[in-house]
Amino acid sequence: MHYQRLASERELLDGLAQPHAAILCGGTDAMIKIRAGLLNPSLVLDVSRIESLRGIRRNGDAVEIGAATSETEILRSPLVRDTLPLLGQVLVQLGSVQIRNRGTLGGNIVNASPAADSAIPLLLFDTEIQIVDRSEERWMPLESFFIGPGKTALESGQFIRTLRIPIPREGGGSSFHKVGKRNALTIAIASLGSLIWTTEGTISEARLAVGSVAPTPARLRSVESALRGRMLDDALVADARQLITSSISPISDVRASAEYRKNVIGDLLVRALEAL
Amino acid sequence: MKIACTINGKRVEMDIDPRLRLLDMLRETLHLTGTKEGCGEGECGACTVLMDGAAVNSCLVPAPQADGTEILTIEGLAEDGTLHPIQQAYVDTGGVQCGFCTPGFIMATYALLLESPDPTEEEILSGLEGNLCRCTGYSKIVEAVHLAAERMRKVA
Ligand SMILES: Cc1cc2nc3c(=O)[nH]c(=O)nc-3n(C[C@H](O)[C@H](O)[C@H](O)COP(=O)(O)OP(=O)(O)OC[C@H]3O[C@@H](n4cnc5c(N)ncnc54)[C@H](O)[C@@H]3O)c2cc1C
Ligand code: FES
Ligand code: FES
Repeated sequence: MHYQRLASERELLDGLAQPHAAILCGGTDAMIKIRAGLLNPSLVLDVSRIESLRGIRRNGDAVEIGAATSETEILRSPLVRDTLPLLGQVLVQLGSVQIRNRGTLGGNIVNASPAADSAIPLLLFDTEIQIVDRSEERWMPLESFFIGPGKTALESGQFIRTLRIPIPREGGGSSFHKVGKRNALTIAIASLGSLIWTTEGTISEARLAVGSVAPTPARLRSVESALRGRMLDDALVADARQLITSSISPISDVRASAEYRKNVIGDLLVRALEAL
Repeated sequence: MKIACTINGKRVEMDIDPRLRLLDMLRETLHLTGTKEGCGEGECGACTVLMDGAAVNSCLVPAPQADGTEILTIEGLAEDGTLHPIQQAYVDTGGVQCGFCTPGFIMATYALLLESPDPTEEEILSGLEGNLCRCTGYSKIVEAVHLAAERMRKVA
């Protein structure tokens, strides 16, 4: 196995043209896979020091975060704290201090675990990611990027440079809850994030995203549109619970049963609505 | 591949197998065996060291990533045979039993106190959330962190 510490995107594109090359950033997912033999690259391309993949900046109505920026750096950013508080609220619950010091958003989304925590707020914010290869650079909604467990729309020869996160308009109430076995280092059994705006007691816009209850982290568009325009009262809360549990079909696994997951998601939505 | 870094204040240049983890490089190449391997998967924190001032799981860091960085391990804390105040505090409060988790806890504590010299209970718990101990039940460890913080503030 060869290992390259890259300084530029040009070196990265050259490396990606080689057979059996794999990108590594913080390594918190990739190192485990390499050691378990699940990933067997002949060339490891370390992108953690490529400047153009790093940093946090405001660009118009959006915040752009380089794919190789560590979760700790994001948590420390005053810009993120002021404009995207939900992102910080989620990232402090990701892994541990040690994991967050190395782990990145690029790694979290390309790893594409159904339980990827950062995906929940990123989906709620309608995040777009910038995919780069030799011939072009393009923006893709994160929602279309996830294809299945561990599967994304990223093709060979491509990498992610930046995430563009539109700052949501003021006044929305947001929440994120994950349920797992212990607090730190918890891989979610089920998680729900919400971003909901109300005017005079009526829901004007609702965004919902769930983790660990579908093959990928996902928005629940049908529930969102069913909530829009409804009065926020007890009847709505009961309906919403019913709607969301029937709109997801989680699997049973070693960590929890499908029925338990549905109940948890229902409870989390009730909690989010009651907190508005 | 050739790498150069600073380990416990000493400049080190080495030709390493790029498949090594930072943990292997420390323990096997440099014989710094104070850093322990528990799970090898980022879950237990026994392998915690500081890389450029930040706590990392050395079992998840490819050794080539140490190039150009400053690494601090448990061996780098004591000076002239005198324990570092954090080490002494763990001894004094009984925060050490079998001791396997201790180097990792002490390095995580070191990183925590760099950032918050007077941490709240909550900050201590989140600063040490990546470290597991099967012996002490944690309360003596939290006590050790408070004590170390207090002693270090007096010196500073
Ligand atoms: C103990 C432990 C606890 C964890 N807890 C959580 C948790 O609570 N929640 C959670 O969501 N995750 C958790 N994780 C998973 C992991 O830490 C995160 O997914 C992290 O964000 C991955 O980032 P990384 O930079 O370390 O990725 P890496 O391991 O470096 O890379 C992961 C994948 O992404 C690809 N990749 C990375 N950067 C790019 C890029 N710029 N372009 C294209 N491809 C790229 C790599 O090729 C690789 O396939 C945990 C992991 C461990 C070991
Ligand atoms: S050995 Fe590295 S975290 Fe357990
Ligand atoms: S003292 Fe034994 S594991 Fe912590």
